[in-house]
Amino acid sequence: MRKTLKHDFPIHIILICAAVLTFFPFFFMVMTSFKATPDFQHNFWGLPQWIQLSNYSDAWTRIKNYVGNSLLVSITSAAGVLFIGSVSAFVFARFRFPGREALFLVLLALLMIPGILTLVPAFLLVKSLGLMNTYGALILPYIAGGQIFAIFVMRSFFASLPEELFESARIDGANTFQLYSGICIPLSKPILVTIAIMNILGTWNDYIWPLVTIPDGRRWTISVGIVSFGSSYIGTESWGPMYAGYVLASLPLIILFMFTMRYFIAGLTSGAIKA
Amino acid sequence: MAETTLGRGAFQIAVPREKEISLARRILRSKEAYLILVPTFVLVLTFNYYPAGSALFHSVFEWNGANIQRFIGLGNFIAMVNDPTLMGSVANLVKLALFALAVNLTFPLLAGALIFHLRDLRLAYFYRVLFVIPLVVPGMVVLGIWRSIYAPQIGLINQMLRGLDMASAARPWLGDFNLALYAVMFIGFPWVAGMSTLIYLAGFQAIPTELLDAAAIDGAGAWNRFWRVEIPLVMSQIKLIVILTVIGALQNFATIMVMTNGGPGVVTMVPGLWLYRNAMYYNKMGYACAIGTALFIITLTLTYLNTRYLKSSVEFIGA
Repeated sequence: MRKTLKHDFPIHIILICAAVLTFFPFFFMVMTSFKATPDFQHNFWGLPQWIQLSNYSDAWTRIKNYVGNSLLVSITSAAGVLFIGSVSAFVFARFRFPGREALFLVLLALLMIPGILTLVPAFLLVKSLGLMNTYGALILPYIAGGQIFAIFVMRSFFASLPEELFESARIDGANTFQLYSGICIPLSKPILVTIAIMNILGTWNDYIWPLVTIPDGRRWTISVGIVSFGSSYIGTESWGPMYAGYVLASLPLIILFMFTMRYFIAGLTSGAIKA
Repeated sequence: MAETTLGRGAFQIAVPREKEISLARRILRSKEAYLILVPTFVLVLTFNYYPAGSALFHSVFEWNGANIQRFIGLGNFIAMVNDPTLMGSVANLVKLALFALAVNLTFPLLAGALIFHLRDLRLAYFYRVLFVIPLVVPGMVVLGIWRSIYAPQIGLINQMLRGLDMASAARPWLGDFNLALYAVMFIGFPWVAGMSTLIYLAGFQAIPTELLDAAAIDGAGAWNRFWRVEIPLVMSQIKLIVILTVIGALQNFATIMVMTNGGPGVVTMVPGLWLYRNAMYYNKMGYACAIGTALFIITLTLTYLNTRYLKSSVEFIGA
């Protein structure tokens, strides 16, 4: 034990310094979010002298719509990606049919097409479909884009499931849908959770697409809303409510992270293989 | 197709001499599969392939997105070369990309290596989780925090400088013509809490222990082992980070948009933001599509060069 510590000691010093530098801004955010404006003005670096909880209620009334919109959009999109993606992945993994590989390639090729290329025509398309200012302008493209990587990952997972399971179910008279919902999905829960999380993270953080397709402030997602919210405070000296808003905007993902940490880390590492 | 190879993954009862059944009948027999794939392909064709095709097509048009659509050949691309704002934005992009590369190939690599070398595995796990947490904070919140760090009046940096009696060094960092771009580069310091660290760490952890033991038995010190064994064996991770960083730099303009919106003036402009402005403010959709097409071609080329010329660890082992 002592030998381990002796070996690790210099490493700890460097890592702790890195962690302190990394987390100081977040610490400052949380600390200041509890400060009243005069407290912040005269006691910039110190701990709050009293806890100003009204910062949170003030911020919440301004951003609760954005959080609600984002929850709706992110959860619906993730559900859509999981459903549409998994049935397609199921077909690609466990069916044999002419053109299977060609169709799969048509999907895979999309991983090479950057969002910046499609941005302008996709915006014009959404406009001509009359989807501007609707949640559909976000959800439909999010499902279209999100399913590709999901199908790619789920296909190889579904293909690795032992054929015997399906064989015996088929002998018992299971139809295609029962094979999908009774065998494939229950055995794939971890990978489904990981895909859902990566999608929620992506759509929660997306900024440009909601900015161009949702001009109406009441329908803004949290990413667009929080930038505008922050801009209204940054020039003033009341940073307490601003930071309280930032904390509230971060909470949903942090709570999700706490319950699904394992999947999160797996997803972040494997998500990179996308490129 | 022979009967034996048909087994795994085929739902139809294996039919002998499948080859003799006509293609049309096989397609007909698989109609269930095609039907299930319809939603996926409708979505992809509508929201991905159609816009991509439209962008490539309209890159050779003068187009306002509605009634004006005039073929101008390479006109947009010639205009790009003669557009001082775009050329300035390309220079910024190169600086940002090179800086991001330099950062991503050092700080997270070092952090990953250090965590990997910890003997206390519990603490190694703790650091790994610790450095993931900032990834969970929404990107726009992180940028909001950095805006307050750089804020002119009561920003953290300026307050710190005043506290250290260096008030004359305080300035509006993001509004400074000479410093704004560097201020944007500096966002994320010390750059260890991110996906790169996780990817490098996963690479280090995948190195077979025997290789490290063998190197140690051969008398290689920690320094030699790091450079001659560990680094070559995480080459595929390094390659991945290189391409992810470059693609990210080419595409991401949300950061610039939120931090400086290309300003002051256009000194921090990047091509993506210029594309956005041409489309959304000036209604020059054709020109925007041409910029997008150029960025697409550059991305493809760089991805190809990366896979072609950066050796991966497998090739290193083979050599």
